[in-house]
Parts: sequence; C-alpha cells; structure tokens
Amino acid sequence: MKFKTRTLGSLLIIALLLILAACSGNGNEENGEEKAEGSGKTSNQKITIFQSKVEISDQLEALAKEYKEETGVEVEVWGTTGDDYFQQLQIRLNSDQGPSIFSVQNVTEAERLESYVYDMSDEDYVKHIAPGMELKNNDKIVGVPYGVEGFGLVYNKDLISPEDVADYESFVSTLEKLKADGINGLGLAKDAYFLIGHISNYPFSLQEDHYEFIDKLTAGEVTMAETAEFKEFGKFMEAIKLNTPSPLDVTYDEEIGDFAAGKSAMIHQGNWAYGMLSDFDIDFEMGMLPFPLMGNDKMAVGVGSNWSINGKKDEEEVKAANDFLNWLSTSETGHRYIVEEFGFVPALTNIDSGDLDPLSQDVLDASNSGETIPWAQSYYPANLVPNDFTPAAQEFFLSKDMTGEELIEKLDAAWKNAVK
Amino acid sequence: MAKKKNMAWYILFTAPLLLIFITVVIIPFLMGIYYSFFQWDGIGANPKVFVGLDNFIHLFGDTRFFKSAWITTLFTILAVISVNLVGLTFALLVTSKLRTANAARTMVFMPYLIGGLILGYIWQFVFSDVFKLIGVVTGLEDVFFNWLMDPSYALYALVFVFTWQMAGYVMIIYIAGIQGIPNDVIEASEIDGANRWQKLRNIIFPLLMPAFTISLFLTLSSAFKIYDVNLSLTGGGPANSTEMFAMNIYNEIFGYGNYGFGQAKAIIFFFIVAAITLTQVYITKKREVEM
Repeated sequence: MKFKTRTLGSLLIIALLLILAACSGNGNEENGEEKAEGSGKTSNQKITIFQSKVEISDQLEALAKEYKEETGVEVEVWGTTGDDYFQQLQIRLNSDQGPSIFSVQNVTEAERLESYVYDMSDEDYVKHIAPGMELKNNDKIVGVPYGVEGFGLVYNKDLISPEDVADYESFVSTLEKLKADGINGLGLAKDAYFLIGHISNYPFSLQEDHYEFIDKLTAGEVTMAETAEFKEFGKFMEAIKLNTPSPLDVTYDEEIGDFAAGKSAMIHQGNWAYGMLSDFDIDFEMGMLPFPLMGNDKMAVGVGSNWSINGKKDEEEVKAANDFLNWLSTSETGHRYIVEEFGFVPALTNIDSGDLDPLSQDVLDASNSGETIPWAQSYYPANLVPNDFTPAAQEFFLSKDMTGEELIEKLDAAWKNAVK
Repeated sequence: MAKKKNMAWYILFTAPLLLIFITVVIIPFLMGIYYSFFQWDGIGANPKVFVGLDNFIHLFGDTRFFKSAWITTLFTILAVISVNLVGLTFALLVTSKLRTANAARTMVFMPYLIGGLILGYIWQFVFSDVFKLIGVVTGLEDVFFNWLMDPSYALYALVFVFTWQMAGYVMIIYIAGIQGIPNDVIEASEIDGANRWQKLRNIIFPLLMPAFTISLFLTLSSAFKIYDVNLSLTGGGPANSTEMFAMNIYNEIFGYGNYGFGQAKAIIFFFIVAAITLTQVYITKKREVEM
C-alpha cells in the first residue's frame, strides 16, 4: 500500500513536470511546426509586422487581409504602441520573438540595430525608391521609405491667410488676435513629438549644414543659446505659451478634434493628420504652411519611417518578408494603399500620386519645387525627444515665468545629457 | 518509511513552485547581477564590454537617480500612512455593527481587482476632465484642477490612486485580524470600564500587531516598487517630477540604452527595498504579543 502511494506520488510529479515542460516549450514547438510547413509550401509562411505609426494601424491590417487573399500568405500586424515603439521592438528582438518586418525611423536607429537590419541592396524593389530617399547604413540599403512626409502649420483657410503667419511679428499678432476672439491660435499636443519633437526641427534645419551643426553641438563647440535661430525659436515658443492654452493636457485626438471643430485656427502637424481629419465633417478648407522661424518659407519635408526586414530570421521568413515589400512597392493594391489608405506622399518613383488630400498636396508641391528644409530630427541622438526634450518642454509649459531663453538653455542641457 | 512518504508529498507540492520561482525570479536576478558589470546597450547582437564596478561608481554621480530616490521615498511614506489609515478605518467600520457592512466591504475591496494600469487610465480621466469640471462648476479651482499638471500635486495624485487601490486589500487583512481577537478579552475590558479609545489602544491594537506586520510589509514593498500606476497615471511627468525608482531604471535601460548601468541601479534598488522591508518586519515582529 505504501509503495503504491509513493508510486502515485512520483507519477503525479512526473505528470506535473511534463505539463510544465509542455507549457514552457509551447512557443518553440509552434515555431518548429511553422518552419516544417514553411519549407514545404511557401504560402504557409507567416510574416509579422511591427511598426511605429499609429495612424496607419487599421489600414495596415486591412492591407494584410488583402495580401492574404491575393497570395495566401498570412501577415500578422502587431498593435502599435506609439511613443515607446523602439523599446518594445528592442525587447522583442532580444527575446528572439522579433517581427519579420519592422519600421526604423532614421539612421541613428538603423545603426543601433545594425546586427538585425537586412541588407536589401540587391532586391528588386529598392530600384523604385526615389533618389536619396533610401535608408542607408554603411552604404547598404536597409530600409524602404514609407513615403515623403511634411509638417508645418496646418491651418484653417477661413481663419488664417498665409500672410498672417509670414514672420515672427505677424505670427504673434495673429495669435493675439485669435486669443481675443476666443479661438486657440496654435494647437500642440502632449505627445513627445507633437509637443516639442517636430517643432524643434526648425532651428536645426535652418542651419547651413545641420549635420555639421549637430556634430559641433555634440562635441560642445557650439551651444543653442548662442545661435540666432534658437534665440528666435525661444521667442516663438514664448509667444505660443502666452497666447494658447497649455498643450500638456491635450491629446492628439483632442488636438485634431478641436481643429476640425474650428476651435483652433492652426495646429502644428504633418500631412499624416489628414487620416484622422477625414473622419470629421469639416466645412472649411485647410492647407499647410511653413513655420515662419526667421521668416522661413520652406516646408520641412523628410522620410517619416522606413520598412526594414529582420535579417536574423530564417531564410524562408526573410524571403516572405521580401516578397511582401516587393508586393507593396510594385503591385496595384500596394500602391493604392500607400497613397489612398495610408495617405503617404509616395517616395517611390513607380507610383503615380494621383489625387492627394489637401495637406499631402501641399507637401508634394513643396517637395517637387525643391522649396524644402530637411528633417534634422533624423540625425538627433536616439530617443532624445521622449527622454530629454519632452521633460524640458513640459517644464517650460508648466511654469508661467520660464522664458524662451531659459527653454533653450534647458534644451542645451538636455542635449548634453543625451550624448554624454 | 513514513518520513519518506512525507518527503514525497513535500516535493510534490513544492517542486512546481520552486521550478517557477527559479526560472522567473532567481535566474533573471543572477543574470541581472552579471549584466551590471558590463557596458552594453541592450541589443542582443551588440558587444558587451566588461567594466567591473564602474557602473556602481558612476551611480553616485547620477543626480536624476537620487532625485528619483527622494520622490520614491516621499511617495512611500505618504502611501504607507494613507493606505493603512484608510484600510484600518474601513476595517473597524465594517466589523462594527453597521447594517451595510457586507456591501461596504465588497465595494472597498473592488478597486484592488482592477489592474493598476487600467486604474491609472481611469483616474487620469478623472483628474484631467472631471476635476477640472468640478473646479469650474463649484468655483473651487484652487483644489479641483488637473492635479497631474502640477509637479507636487501629481505625486499626491499618485498617492491617492495607490491608496484607492490598496486600501481594500489591507482592509481584508485587518478584518481577519480583528475577527481573530477573542470576544471575552473585549468584554472583560468593557466590564472594567474601558472606553472606546482605551479599548482600541490597549486591547485591539496590540492584538492586531501581526496584521500590522503584514500590511506594512505589503504596502511598503509595493509602494517602493510601484510602476504600473506610475506609468499610466503620470508617465513620470510632468517634467520627470514623478519618476519613481522602477521607472527610472526602465528609462535608463530602454530609453537611454544603458543596459548595464540600469541593471546596477536595479541591484541597488533591490538592496534598498530588502533592507527597509526587513527592518520593518523585524521591528513590528518584536511588538507582536502572544496571547
């Protein structure tokens, strides 16, 4: 009898351990099965996409469905987290559960992910990328641009005309006038890039060579506080703080909603905002204007993000990922999605941009005429905006007495902290 | 033989737990210590450089870490006091002969069942929209404004939400403690003419000491380690004024990409939490009385 209980006991332990082992081994087993199937028929190869643009998540899922219908390959789109995208990507890559396709924002990020990004220089689809728009790391092409994007002052044509915001004086008097009328002159939002990230580009981009300037800044040879563009930028920010409600409790949704409802005359946004604006019934015309820092009349245009392939995946998956990018950049459905659904201004030469929404049209016009300034943020130290610029900007908007000059000093300190 | 049988049962029940504990606590902890001696950006395939104790030395020059330590301490003190005060008050209320005692008990416990993240987002809405509205309607704009927009009030908001979450839980512990006090002792004190306060101070509190030990330990350690409410309610903001220990470590590792340095912070953090909670357990244990 005793013997029996003991056997029973050990049997139970073994059973439990087996269950545990099965549970922990589950993930791998699934992968194994997929691999086995994948080598038989490529159509069963599943690919996963993880990317940073919240605005296109829904559309991307729809695209995944169409891709499955056309080719039979399943594409899983992972939910996007927004501001902490890069951290999430890093966690997933480290635990070997990374996606097959991910988005890389700029050169700095590509450098950090050097060991992961797949060299696509020999692939067919990179031939279609507009000259100079590809993402390169050590002369290897590692990313296909999403599209060309631009940001600036998105304005309500009923309330603002271009000469109202042509330079500092007119900009300030317009804000003051609108404030007196009970309208928010310029809407920002609390998200890192909408609060300070994008708008902080201008003083950098207006430098003769912003790469050189940033290198000097990092080396400590120049400071923002002693540079004319930044001094004026400080004055602009002061005017914004003085004449508009605090952006710190405004979400992106509210910023867009207020503009659509006519409560804000301008918002600092990019052409991507049209995706959300089109959900509203808007009874006014809108357009995009350059931010008039130092009388600037050129739009800030750049590449928002790039599709990259995870080269650490097995061959089958890399191939399937390549097929997907190829399809996206050459097929009709792919083109339709890029232009119509994502609302991107295409950075591929084989796409006819067709009818664009008004904001994208303004960006494309600027881009075609060459009247643009670059996005300096692509060359910012990694994570500078959420880590260091945002707290500084929050402090600025919170404190009534903090001047624009002090803001620039804070940004100087923030930069030092980011590159130390 | 009987001993062996017991052993088998013992293993049967502890082995699975032990296995889980080792894989999710012990091994990551040891790995963390290992990584703290390296300079590494946290990306698997990138090189790790051995730097010995440099990360720990470097730590003493990190003012943001010290600021975060101070905020966490302040938060913990406020939170421990308010959670236990509220929890104990509710426990005393619902064990008295209130007619709604059962309903009240359930209601107070309920917030604990909601995850900290969701709770944080709910209260973010309350603070940023409801509070502002109340302020405008009642005219008490000095009290009812968006607390999350003010560096010091944001901390109070955190304490408030944390109390809301934890008070119900410690209340249950206190209720168990109070119900464990034999009635005859209390009756005896009543016959001796003790008033409410004397009864509370001289009979109930000493006999409640084990419950105090547990509650203080739980609130102390979870307040120190708070991350979820911190993330969803304030996100460390405004301007890093509510960046607690755990968030500071997360930002160091994933925001700035200093994996090794962040791990060094985490090790120090572990020792601080361990030292403080163990001291607390030691002190309150000594005050527990045997019946």
